[in-house]
Amino acid sequence: MRRVAITGLGVVAPLGNCVDELFTNLVAGRSGVCRLAAPLSERLRSPIGAPVQFDGRAHFSAPRLRMLDRVSQLALVAAAQAIADARLDFAAERRERCGVCVGTSLGGAETTEDGYHTVYAEHSDRVKPYSVLAAMTNATASWLGIDYGLSGPNLTYSTACSSSAVALGEAARRIQCGDVDIMLAGGAEAPLTFGVLRAWEAMRTLAVQDPQDPSSSCRPFARTRTGLVLGEGAAFVALEEWDHAVARGAMIHAELSGYGLTTDVTHITRPSIEGQTSAMRAALCSAGLHPDAIDYVNAHGTGTLQNDAVETAALKEVFGKRAYSVPVSSTKSMHGHLLGAAGALEFVIAVTCLERGIVPPTMHLDSPDAACDLDYVAGRARTGMMLRTVLSNSFAFGGTNAVLIAQTAARH
Amino acid sequence: MSTLETLQDLLIREYKLTREQLAPDAQLSALGVDSLGMLELMFQIEDRFGITLPDDNPTNLLTVNDVVVYIDKLVAPQREAPMTPTCTP
Repeated sequence: MRRVAITGLGVVAPLGNCVDELFTNLVAGRSGVCRLAAPLSERLRSPIGAPVQFDGRAHFSAPRLRMLDRVSQLALVAAAQAIADARLDFAAERRERCGVCVGTSLGGAETTEDGYHTVYAEHSDRVKPYSVLAAMTNATASWLGIDYGLSGPNLTYSTACSSSAVALGEAARRIQCGDVDIMLAGGAEAPLTFGVLRAWEAMRTLAVQDPQDPSSSCRPFARTRTGLVLGEGAAFVALEEWDHAVARGAMIHAELSGYGLTTDVTHITRPSIEGQTSAMRAALCSAGLHPDAIDYVNAHGTGTLQNDAVETAALKEVFGKRAYSVPVSSTKSMHGHLLGAAGALEFVIAVTCLERGIVPPTMHLDSPDAACDLDYVAGRARTGMMLRTVLSNSFAFGGTNAVLIAQTAARH
Repeated sequence: MSTLETLQDLLIREYKLTREQLAPDAQLSALGVDSLGMLELMFQIEDRFGITLPDDNPTNLLTVNDVVVYIDKLVAPQREAPMTPTCTP
């Protein structure tokens, strides 16, 4: 089977608008979670989130901005980074063999909310003419295809919190089966609008703001965890058929060698140990790997009571006794839950861990939970590690479980 | 201020253009104002000129001057229209 090289990485995320800045802050244990500014802070019970320091006006002209929801703005900048990092010149490629896969849960949430506000709150007919084009969930993927002339497959996956993990996995599959040579794959989410936050609050699944330190409110695996914290951002990777990458002299970050996809069918939100276990096993099987090969797990680790306990149990099923010694960390403790973009962001982080031999910590794990008793790399990053294979989990409302595996390029 | 100058001010603000770019014969599409952009501009024209534009979607507005003529045709009759009596004597 054809192999998939990861040749470019790009992020616009809480804690960093490029991979270096993000990773440096993660290793330092800094948190991008904060109290949201007014007016959000005045109307929400738990006004916390993980925003990105990003102004679209610095990247796009005024006419362009009219057509781009924030989600697409974030994505276009992150994708451009990945392309630059890969030193890809699409003019030199067969563009019908290049495609795009994007994962997003909400698409253009800000545009959608503005439109409803115009119609229902202002009782006006003046909905912006670009609303549909900016809000539609495939807008981001479409603009990437247009901007770079990529006329191969152009797909958008929306499977809630696993959307962009699915996007990466499906992109890799297309390269493996020979349809394409290059795929731009990633995810984007810009959910920090009042309506979206209010809807999530209604589910009682968001973290309670820590009164002393809002930045510590997301506590994966801790006994004191109270829920997840929403974040915004985008992350993209350039994926290439291995020989194609080698032939053009590309620098290969790692190999995307495993992808497991299963579904929990028991409940619309409640995760299942069986589903998560199966997804991890499927990823290992697709990579031809034994669980003993995994050196680090970037957990889904949302900070909800249910996910963290179930994921811990699933890790024990997969790894057996070794589950207690494989380092597992949730970087959501620092960058929040980017929903549709989470899978891609965390995979980029996992690949960077591979390259640098550093495992970022799970922060704010000050009080252990008896049901969560693994090595979560609490409080401090580990450096100087020999990492050859990493596994990244993404488990979603609706039940789509997606697991990705990356292996070091150095072994080839 | 003339209709042309007022329209130019709108486009300068919304599209970050210069007055020199907005000569009467300048092509709107070349300035980044596409068909959807025109629809959005209609809202601002209504507000700025105090007129109500018809619901039809004019397709012959290709240059800055085309829009000026369009506005002027609508402004004159709407300003001259007699007040409709609200009560009979």
